[in-house]
Amino acid sequence: MVFMEVDLSWNVIISPEQLDAKGLLLHKAIILRLMDDIASRKASKEHGYYVAVTTLNSVGEGKVRELSGDVLFPVTFTCITLKPIKGDILVGTVDKILKHGIFLKAGPIGSIFLSEKTMRDYKYVGGDNPMFLNDKHANLEKDTMIRFKVLGLKWLESDREFQVLATLAADFLGSL
Amino acid sequence: MSGEEEENAAELKIGDEFLKAKCLMNCEVARILDHKYDQLQQMSADPTNQISQVFEKSMQYVKRFSNYKNTDAVRQAREVLSRYKLAEFEVWPFFRLKFPRHLVTFNHINVHLQLCVLGNLCPDTVEEAIAIVPSIKSKGRKLEDDAIEKMLHDLSLIKKFE
Repeated sequence: MVFMEVDLSWNVIISPEQLDAKGLLLHKAIILRLMDDIASRKASKEHGYYVAVTTLNSVGEGKVRELSGDVLFPVTFTCITLKPIKGDILVGTVDKILKHGIFLKAGPIGSIFLSEKTMRDYKYVGGDNPMFLNDKHANLEKDTMIRFKVLGLKWLESDREFQVLATLAADFLGSL
Repeated sequence: MSGEEEENAAELKIGDEFLKAKCLMNCEVARILDHKYDQLQQMSADPTNQISQVFEKSMQYVKRFSNYKNTDAVRQAREVLSRYKLAEFEVWPFFRLKFPRHLVTFNHINVHLQLCVLGNLCPDTVEEAIAIVPSIKSKGRKLEDDAIEKMLHDLSLIKKFE
């Protein structure tokens, strides 16, 4: 999982109340609106998670939208994004342990599932503090940090997030 | 991105959008997000408005998984990794015409991808490095085991003397 700095474009809509004669306030309003929009957008299938807007690169000429009186400004900006892809090696923290696998979290990715089928040499032990045991390696329990590989991904449009399928079936993977 | 050409980290295949993007190591992102956080506190009366969950979770994550804490160390790490010229491959003009764009995977962006993954995961051995970034052995200008060993050694020295 590698963070990327990407150049993107967006249309920022400013309502008439914020349109001030002083250019500086308008600029600030555009930046704040842009950051708000990107924060609500959370992520997209093409770019992954939008982490933070770093710079506003250009602001185009504003176009008045006839019905509302709002002004639309096409902008270009640089943003830090994070997109998990197949084959990625990531480190995540154990969130929940169930019989059929482990749910992990890694940064903004909230839904990572590690199936017990990919953990051949681990054994599930239930109880108050469920865990997966292994003779040679450390136990996998809540809050353990695990290095895993991304087996597959799914983009969930409704939640605007990625669902990741993980595996431990390769060398140098497992708990840290 | 066409449906058939699936993105795949192992083979360094990534989407067109990212061909011009720059990859950042966790430690570099940590510095940027810290700075951004301070900026946001100053800029608005209610900074929690602008700080999204994605931002916060990412910031926690990169701070936890940063290998190099101070500015100098981060710069040195990037220098060490760049020095080894991972996946350097000159794509001559006629290659670009002959092959579809998405198959031309050797370009500037991929060099950064490899070095960022190595910088983030800090493998201890050559074997581990090849296991987590298989492309250093399979694509472009292959790195000899000696070169990989030396690079990992240099990286560990930076960490030691941080």
